[in-house]
Amino acid sequence: MFYIAFRMLVGDRGKFLGIILGLSFASLIMTQQPGVFVGIMTRAYSFITDLGLPDIWVMEPTVQYIDDIKPMPDTYLYRVASVEGVAWAKPLYKGTIQARLHNGTFQTCNLIGLDDATLIGAPAVMIEGKIENLRRTDGIIVNQEGALDKLANPPKYPRGPKIPLKVGQEIELNNHRAVVVGIAQTTRTFQSQPVVYTTYSNATLFTPPQLNLLSFVLVKAKPGQNLKALCDRIFRRTGLRAYTKEDFKSLTVNYYLKYTGIPINFGVSVLLGFLVGAAIAGQTFYNFTLENLRYFGVLKAMGTSEKTLLLMIIFQALIISFIGYGIGVGCTGIFDLLTQNTMLAFRFPWQLFIFSIFGIFIISSFAALISIRKVITLEPAIVFKS
Amino acid sequence: MTQEEFAVTCKELIKSYGHGETKITALRGVNLEVRSGEMMMLAGPSGCGKTTLISVIASILNQDNGECKVYGHDLNHMSKTERIAFRSKNIGFVFQAFNLFPSLTAAENVAIPLVIGGMDIKEATQKGCELLNEMGLGDRVSDVPADLSGGQQQRVAIARAMIHGPRLIVCDEPTSALDGHTGQKIMELIKKVALDETRAIIVVTHDSRIFSFADRIAKMEDGQILKVVNSYEEFED
Repeated sequence: MFYIAFRMLVGDRGKFLGIILGLSFASLIMTQQPGVFVGIMTRAYSFITDLGLPDIWVMEPTVQYIDDIKPMPDTYLYRVASVEGVAWAKPLYKGTIQARLHNGTFQTCNLIGLDDATLIGAPAVMIEGKIENLRRTDGIIVNQEGALDKLANPPKYPRGPKIPLKVGQEIELNNHRAVVVGIAQTTRTFQSQPVVYTTYSNATLFTPPQLNLLSFVLVKAKPGQNLKALCDRIFRRTGLRAYTKEDFKSLTVNYYLKYTGIPINFGVSVLLGFLVGAAIAGQTFYNFTLENLRYFGVLKAMGTSEKTLLLMIIFQALIISFIGYGIGVGCTGIFDLLTQNTMLAFRFPWQLFIFSIFGIFIISSFAALISIRKVITLEPAIVFKS
Repeated sequence: MTQEEFAVTCKELIKSYGHGETKITALRGVNLEVRSGEMMMLAGPSGCGKTTLISVIASILNQDNGECKVYGHDLNHMSKTERIAFRSKNIGFVFQAFNLFPSLTAAENVAIPLVIGGMDIKEATQKGCELLNEMGLGDRVSDVPADLSGGQQQRVAIARAMIHGPRLIVCDEPTSALDGHTGQKIMELIKKVALDETRAIIVVTHDSRIFSFADRIAKMEDGQILKVVNSYEEFED
């Protein structure tokens, strides 16, 4: 009977494609939009991800996310370093600064000040130059995206391509001369501002005078330490909030979830995709059943049990779900491939597969349910109507 | 003749549709006996209850009152499951509009009752091919209904109605969608191939041109059987 169910389903190719299209669309929206959302959220904490070495981030207790900088006195570094279980503690400056470009315009940049001695927190991948060159006078490393675009030199002729910022060139940071000593590859940030790395001591020179400069204390735990317990210990001893990398990422994401409209906007898109997909697939599948009602009636009259008819419809729903889901997720996969290493934020974690399978399951169950009801309550005597 | 030898016995069958002022009584105490091995035609004007009667006989519609037995089995006293099983084994259907599945080939359409009975689709389709071959449609077994003429489609439908060896075949206006010549051919085929001593055929029709194929004709009017006759001439009288 499943063969008959299958042939009934694919018999009218137009209708069949209509159902598949509805489910593919729903599946695409339910994976692509959350994928963009996850991508954006990932960028929100990309700076934490890029700093692979430290286990724990220590900060002023009221910090809510990675870009919420509450400067602390430099002496806090030593208080943290003295906590039992801490292998080392290094300072990190994170802030914004105005860069004056060659054409006289200004560009806001993220300025990262690294521990002078160890340069912990430096970018992992250098495109050009060496990290050690940061120790040169006024040395800075610029991220690749910034060097190619926002910090790039003006074009040679109107509407021509920008000329990338190169090693050896100078720019002005808050009226201070800065020399580019390297170009680094970093993960794009949420604001997509250029990222400028320098030493902690240079950062104090570049930034306007201020009482406190220390943004974070980066901590490496001694081997065998329970990181959560160490975080608690740091808090108890110093009064500073300490987070593991993952917890700090969660804190950042939760801030965006709670205080920005981003999740709601994407949630609405996903919900609309789900509803439109459900409407299209449900309506088309129901129409398909209505148009085949006479044939279900024939089967019923000939002695097909209600259970078999029910299984036939579930089988049909499973087929459309499987194909629709496959096409939708496949399209999202292609989108993922096409957007890799571009400005578009997109991530496709395995959880999205589960989420969209669940969504498609609900849609096809809904479509099957309304059809099953129609077929089960069908009077087989319908077959004698001409 | 014992009740077992009657293919169908209907006693005081009553069937109504709707409620209150919209209530329509389609069968008003129908009494009918159809013998095994005979072709019985139900004739009468539109709305006289012919289709309702064969629906009740074929157990796809329940009567409100009265008794209807098919080969001694009172279908109204069977459970739903038993009735479905009885129908799948013992009753074949030929419809006015053929009701062939448009996406299945002729052989697959014929195979459906066997598949419902649990046979594998391949084996059932093979048997469908063999039967269509016997009925002169051997070269059309792989065609879908849309590629067949009306007469060919009805021949496929007849093959479908008899492939599982039912003891009763009910035909609802089997010739009304066909031209006169093709209708005659179809009735010849039904009489020749489908009818035998162990099987009865009930044909609902208002096409007087095919009355000559009937062993007996029941004249219906206003939900009742007025008379059962042996020939067209008696019917007209």
